[in-house]
Amino acid sequence: MVERLNFEDQISSNKIKSVFLMGFILLVFVLLGYLISIFTDPSLFFIIMIFSIIISLVYILAGYYYSAQLALASVRAKPASQKEHRMLLHTVENMALASGLPTPKVYVMQSEQINAFASGRDPQHAVICVTTDALDKLNKQELEGVIAHEMAHIANYDIRFMTLTTILVGMVSIAAELFLRSLWFSGNDREGGKGNVILLVIGLALAILAPIAVQLVQLAISRKREFTADATGAKFTRYPQGLANALKKIRDDHDAITSKDQHHYAKALAPLFIGNPYKKISGLFSSHPDVNERIKILESM
Amino acid sequence: MILWIILGILLLIVVVFALYYNRFTILENRIDNSLSQIDVQLKKRADLVPNLMETVKGYAKHEKSIMADVTSARKAMLGAKDLPARVKAGDALQNALKSIFAIAENYPQLRANENFLHLQQELSAIEEKVAYSRQYYNDSILSYNNSVETFPGVFFAKLYSKQEKTMLKIAPAERELPKVSF
Repeated sequence: MVERLNFEDQISSNKIKSVFLMGFILLVFVLLGYLISIFTDPSLFFIIMIFSIIISLVYILAGYYYSAQLALASVRAKPASQKEHRMLLHTVENMALASGLPTPKVYVMQSEQINAFASGRDPQHAVICVTTDALDKLNKQELEGVIAHEMAHIANYDIRFMTLTTILVGMVSIAAELFLRSLWFSGNDREGGKGNVILLVIGLALAILAPIAVQLVQLAISRKREFTADATGAKFTRYPQGLANALKKIRDDHDAITSKDQHHYAKALAPLFIGNPYKKISGLFSSHPDVNERIKILESM
Repeated sequence: MILWIILGILLLIVVVFALYYNRFTILENRIDNSLSQIDVQLKKRADLVPNLMETVKGYAKHEKSIMADVTSARKAMLGAKDLPARVKAGDALQNALKSIFAIAENYPQLRANENFLHLQQELSAIEEKVAYSRQYYNDSILSYNNSVETFPGVFFAKLYSKQEKTMLKIAPAERELPKVSF
């Protein structure tokens, strides 16, 4: 069992990373604006720069304040009701008490997979979303284990960085796409000199690499986070076996699921979930550590 | 030059003192906060009891002694001065309630009463919540004690006269599924 999980360190590291991420996104936007202005009309440089800064700031702030709502809306989650989801609400309240955090808002999403995620910018604005299948297939202790794992993500501010990355990654890829399109159009009615060709190559490389870079960062971090959240969650329930059993069910359940069910999730959201919704991707690009390893560690606690 | 170095060192010392003072205060506040969480749950439990007694009375009139137990346990809990006493009385109340639910087995009509079932569910949910908020209370005490007892915190703890606090004893975890009979 991890004896002392240093929460403060983790929290501040997550906060710093979030700020860096937002700065990075701002930079990417400004750079894109710069490149666009050079390719289209250099005389519009200032106007385009101002626009790209305003747009990126609005995007970043919207991402910061509304990331949870965006994530919930994209999976079409509904608020849990006292009547239908009594046990779920109780479990969340219990885990909030065990972790000493405010009770997060609880949502339920329709899905044929056992899964759950937490989101929000801080514990005061956190949400937990659970799939309908998780409610049907998990017993009380297993559900408790899953909720405790999500509470751990909330407690150490994983949710802020993870959700921000998820939302902002989506943004960057859209921006990059727009940039590529603007290249197409400007390329058709203009003859580029040598300088323009170099810029074109840089622009292309940036447009392709930026989202991949962010994605890689996110994936690499997500894997370590899952282990920490497992350990912290076990501390909340005092019963690691509950989460271990839940992970076993998630593993068997996901193995049985055909790929046609997978489009329920936006791909960018994958790292937010406790169990990887996309089982086919593995290795460097996998957003989740090996489930069997997680189960092994939990069972040895 | 030497003056600046001395000033720098002094400033550093002040900062360290302030940091430790804040750390103790934060940890103590956390303990207070978790205490009030336990209290909230105990109060909720006490509030549900009269309602439950009313329901039970209608079906099981002659179980006077058990009902008296519950009422007196509730009174003891509300009258308890400090937390350990209140928690202890809360446990006594919980046990008395358990025997109420046990005798309910003999009264099929009572068991079928919707109000009774609802109260039973509520009370078992509260029992869980009491357990979890106690656990958090103990966790908070543990991190406070750790910071008071380990070096270099122990030095500052002496200075600010902060003492180790005692945890609440928790009965060996009851990990069974709560039984709700229909």
